[in-house]
Amino acid sequence: MSTAALLTGAAHGAASPADFMAARQQMAFTLGFHIVLASIGVGLPALTLLAEWRSLRTGDAVHAELARRWMKAAGVLFAVGAVSGTVLSFEMGTLWPNFMDKYGQVFGTAFALEGIAFFIEAIFMGIYLYGWDRLSPRAHFLTGVPVVIAGLLSASFVLTVNSWMNQPRGFKLVDGKVTDVDPLAAMFNPATPVQAVHLILASLMVCGFLVASVYAVGLLRDRKAGRDDRYNRVGFAIPFSLGAVCAPLQVIVGDWAVRFVADNQPAKFAAMEGVEHTRAGQPFRFAVFEIPNALSLMLKFDAHATLRGMDAVPVGDRPPAEVVKTSFEIMIALGMALLALAAWWALAWWLRRRGRALDLPWRPWFLRAAALTGVMAVVAMEAGWTTTEVGRQPWIVYGVMRTEEAINPNPGLRYGLYIVLVVYAVLAAATVSVLRRMRHRPEPAVPAAAPAAPEKETAR
Amino acid sequence: MSLADAALGLIMVGLSAYLLFGGADFGAGLWHLLSRRRTDQEVIEHAMGPIWEANHVWLIFVMVMTWTAFPPIFADVMSAHWIPLSLAALGIVARGSTFVFSKADPDQRWYPWVFGVSSAVTPYCLGAVAAVVATGGTTWWSGTGLYGGVLTTALCAYLAAVYLIWDARRLADEDASLRFRGYALVSGSVAGLLALPGAAALGVRSPLILLSAAAGLVSLVLLVRRAYLSVRVTGGLAVVAVLWGAAEMAGLDLDAAAAHDAVLQAVFVALGVGAVILVPSMAWLYVLFQRGPEPPARPAPEPRPSRH
Repeated sequence: MSTAALLTGAAHGAASPADFMAARQQMAFTLGFHIVLASIGVGLPALTLLAEWRSLRTGDAVHAELARRWMKAAGVLFAVGAVSGTVLSFEMGTLWPNFMDKYGQVFGTAFALEGIAFFIEAIFMGIYLYGWDRLSPRAHFLTGVPVVIAGLLSASFVLTVNSWMNQPRGFKLVDGKVTDVDPLAAMFNPATPVQAVHLILASLMVCGFLVASVYAVGLLRDRKAGRDDRYNRVGFAIPFSLGAVCAPLQVIVGDWAVRFVADNQPAKFAAMEGVEHTRAGQPFRFAVFEIPNALSLMLKFDAHATLRGMDAVPVGDRPPAEVVKTSFEIMIALGMALLALAAWWALAWWLRRRGRALDLPWRPWFLRAAALTGVMAVVAMEAGWTTTEVGRQPWIVYGVMRTEEAINPNPGLRYGLYIVLVVYAVLAAATVSVLRRMRHRPEPAVPAAAPAAPEKETAR
Repeated sequence: MSLADAALGLIMVGLSAYLLFGGADFGAGLWHLLSRRRTDQEVIEHAMGPIWEANHVWLIFVMVMTWTAFPPIFADVMSAHWIPLSLAALGIVARGSTFVFSKADPDQRWYPWVFGVSSAVTPYCLGAVAAVVATGGTTWWSGTGLYGGVLTTALCAYLAAVYLIWDARRLADEDASLRFRGYALVSGSVAGLLALPGAAALGVRSPLILLSAAAGLVSLVLLVRRAYLSVRVTGGLAVVAVLWGAAEMAGLDLDAAAAHDAVLQAVFVALGVGAVILVPSMAWLYVLFQRGPEPPARPAPEPRPSRH
């Protein structure tokens, strides 16, 4: 290809396989990046409100300081999330123009609603941040509530589009043309409830465990230095508890999700569970283990039920089974590990409330494990996202449009991927560096509050 | 008026707002780069949005409206011009993030540089695409694209300078205000000298050109006479008339591209409901933001704990 053709981006025919793969990787990468920021965007305002609510009720300075710091961090991360989300709207057109051409109108309403919800979130985020010293404490707390609600709504609206790609509804195809569009039927497709709940719980877990990880590291440092810092303990307890509450709920919703996929997307299900052949009494396989008949039993409550395998799917319609199965197993394993830590946390709190084993929640082995939960939750979420996205392949709209048909035919898409990778690597490094800087910056003492715990000054 | 016309009207409103507000943000970034005076930079940092670049909402609105209401046009423009549009998207990333980063971490020197450079690259790319689409050209890598990019960047710089004169007076001092007035006079003259011959060369025959030229001339007079608030109106009109003229030129077959009526109705209802919530919320934010120009109780800089 000539330089001139690259520079102008003029088409010569279908996209090359290298460009096709690059476009998929770019979409996966930028979405995978955004999903972490979006999770924090949903979860961190909720954590902030929890801390502020406690400080309003008790006048506790530690809770007030945590609320301030969390909301400042939320402001920075919101800005990065806003621009990484803008990139996604561009990519919808620059990478997948034929998808947008044909189906943009079917799911467009959901994006319009998402845009509105996002704008409301942004406005109230501004009011909350700027109103800290300009509104009464109660009014200020209340202005945070729309941030959380709008964040949840905006995540749900976006999710309806992904659910629609799995369960396309609300239109008819006549001679290859889209007619009879029903935007509401598209939005409320059968996959929407389960996907939305699964993702929202995942995002709360990601945010809760990520924030808790930061304070777990702080607590381990305190321990090493022989300090006892209430700031770090409260900073750990609130987010870890949020994650711990969501973890068991997520197991139940995850079960619902698997059953839904088994009924509605047999190829994805066969790939997830590694079922090659259709037969009665399917065994349950996980990593190297195999339990006879267990999959049939778990799914249909009948040890001899027949489940479809990959051989029931035409060869050309099969997803890359290894990727799907591995990512699904990673998600399950990490989810279970998080559930176990959540259970320990609950037990430790319960014993502590009864006046026994006061040190139990702060055992070093637990803090070390807790310091890893943030990474674990992020990896679990990305693995789950990979499972559902790769499991839908080769379709971009399940059963209706293949991903290959959606691609921008212009050459050179792979160079776009390389540039995006570099820019995002710098962006991620800068974001972490800014947050670390903010963590080390002294916060002004909260006026008219109880004197801050004296040991806190030396802690950071 | 058909539903498609109404959708087009909303898209034009969104584009105009993006040019008038988002464009001014780009221009402010450009002046932030060009003027190395700390006073000017502080005025710019204060005058821009509270947390993030809220004005990109207009761009997202335009994109969502276009892919919902006129999907084939969105697909054609985005796929044909994916290179400049991808660069613009990355420019928005670089700008938006370095804007908050430099507020949160003022010691880092390269954030303002990236902010300034991406403030020029982004409107250049968007303007190049707009000019090519308007004239029915093929690539941003052409004379028309180059012209559109430079003109758009100049218009953004002009708008920003015009708006910042009053902000400088409010937030800083008379000297800074006079400097921005100088920037506005220079960039306004440059933009006018670019726009008029360009329009003639591209064969634009529209009364909007006269409107733009007249508003531009009135603005220069108002600048000289130091009517800083009225010039915001005439300056904005001069700039936005260029956009309208370009839109008038673009021979896009909208009726063939329009989405089904059921879709457009659903979107209008969604936008109507949204506006009922959005408008009062935004008014409240604005009032709150104007209540005190300085962030309250900024702590005296304390020695930062040693880092290791």
